Amino acid sequence: MKLAMRNMRTALGLEWYKLRRKRLFGMVLLLMLAEIAWGCTASGMSFSRHPEHAGWEPLLAMFASMNGLFMPIAAAVCVSRICDMEHKGNTWKLLLTLNAGRGALYAAKYVTASIIMTAAVLLQALAIAAFGAVNGLEQPVPLLLLLRFFAGTVLANMAVTAVQQWISLAVPNQAFALALGMIGGFFGIVADLMPRGVRAMLIWSSYTGFSPVTQTFAGETAQFAVRDMGSLLPAMAGVAAAGAVIYLAGCFHVSRREG
Amino acid sequence: MNALKRCIAAEWLKLRHSRIWIILAILPVISVLIGGFNFSMNQGVLTKEWYSLWSQVGLFYGEFFFPVLIAIVCAYMWRLEHLNKNWHLIMTAPVSAAHLFLAKWIVSGALLLMVQLFFSLLYVLAGMMAGITSALPAELPGWLARGWISALSISSLQLAISALVRSFAAPIGIGLCASFLGLGMYVFDLGLYFPHSLLTVGMGVLSQTGLPRGELALYLAMNGLYMAAPGAWVIRRRRTSDVVSST
Repeated sequence: MKLAMRNMRTALGLEWYKLRRKRLFGMVLLLMLAEIAWGCTASGMSFSRHPEHAGWEPLLAMFASMNGLFMPIAAAVCVSRICDMEHKGNTWKLLLTLNAGRGALYAAKYVTASIIMTAAVLLQALAIAAFGAVNGLEQPVPLLLLLRFFAGTVLANMAVTAVQQWISLAVPNQAFALALGMIGGFFGIVADLMPRGVRAMLIWSSYTGFSPVTQTFAGETAQFAVRDMGSLLPAMAGVAAAGAVIYLAGCFHVSRREG
Repeated sequence: MNALKRCIAAEWLKLRHSRIWIILAILPVISVLIGGFNFSMNQGVLTKEWYSLWSQVGLFYGEFFFPVLIAIVCAYMWRLEHLNKNWHLIMTAPVSAAHLFLAKWIVSGALLLMVQLFFSLLYVLAGMMAGITSALPAELPGWLARGWISALSISSLQLAISALVRSFAAPIGIGLCASFLGLGMYVFDLGLYFPHSLLTVGMGVLSQTGLPRGELALYLAMNGLYMAAPGAWVIRRRRTSDVVSST
């Protein structure tokens, strides 16, 4: 057990070491800044046109909706970058000769990608809080709503990262992994238009599905309501389980492949 | 000219067995499926038949997913060069850097033309299945042609980025950010000055009114600029700087 933990720590440390000078953090930061800039600009324009509708709920709903597009692609870019270096440098065989199991290597990459994506979501949550405070929204910063937003987005990210990592490691040609990220982004945007049953099968719908704020339309007016946390727990448990199954399947598949 | 033909033939050879056609086909299919479904469910509100259908199927396609698809194609075109020591191999080939770049641009342009044609076919099929019986919009060939011209501009820019950035994924992330920048420029009436917003304008995905003559001339001029400038820059860099082939 101790040896396994030490190997895992070593593998994780090496993954971070390999990311030096890869500009991955800059890439993810650029994507997040683009999303934050777009979300803040759109929200600002909406608030100035309809000041009576200005509030934290529309802001959170806007970002949850945009996460459906951005996060799958950001996850695809992040995971592809982490996994591609092994395919390109032909270093898989070298890694497999180390005193670390394939499962540990797979886990190290997953944890690295998850940490980077979690940091991206944290940046987003801080930006939302800052934007709301700077724009003088009447209510104080809703820490609980932000925490729920953060948790839901991180959970969705972890499930999507599991899918992306499986594809990125199983298929050397990263075009397919990035195309999947793009398709995931597409589903993330349009998931709310789909029937409930179809939505439940798409993990990319979780970005809006786990949003603490729901948006409905009464005629041409958008109305926002805070969702009850309890109603989301079964869906979150389902996505967590699905993510775990996908991770384990990917780990098993990649570990059993030759070289 | 012979050298360019040889380079183009080599590029097609490199694409054999790549299965990139799967990626090129699946995106328009999903765009039209979702857009068509949305149109069918909201025909009471979307009453302009072919024009409303175009706004539904074309919006996500033209705004985000076609530019990202272009980025993927362009990153794929440079993939083999970035592998192992292939840059050294290709720089010793008896062809100029200009021919290398132009060949990739021409081949990616041909692939994107196929995507546009496939998308138009799916659009027509979606309209027929939705029960639209009126004639196709007269603007359709113009939308598709201008979309392809803008795609050539974006592909020149993406090829330039992918030539210099050895990562496969990073240029695609840059392409996505550029899509949002293009959308922002369109919103602030600067749509004729950036390739991604030129795609929005050319394909009429947000506004189906055509381009007046003066704006059409500016549209074509800006596309010409964006087709030429990134390529010229990359070709000059390849002529004057050493390549880096280690990963």
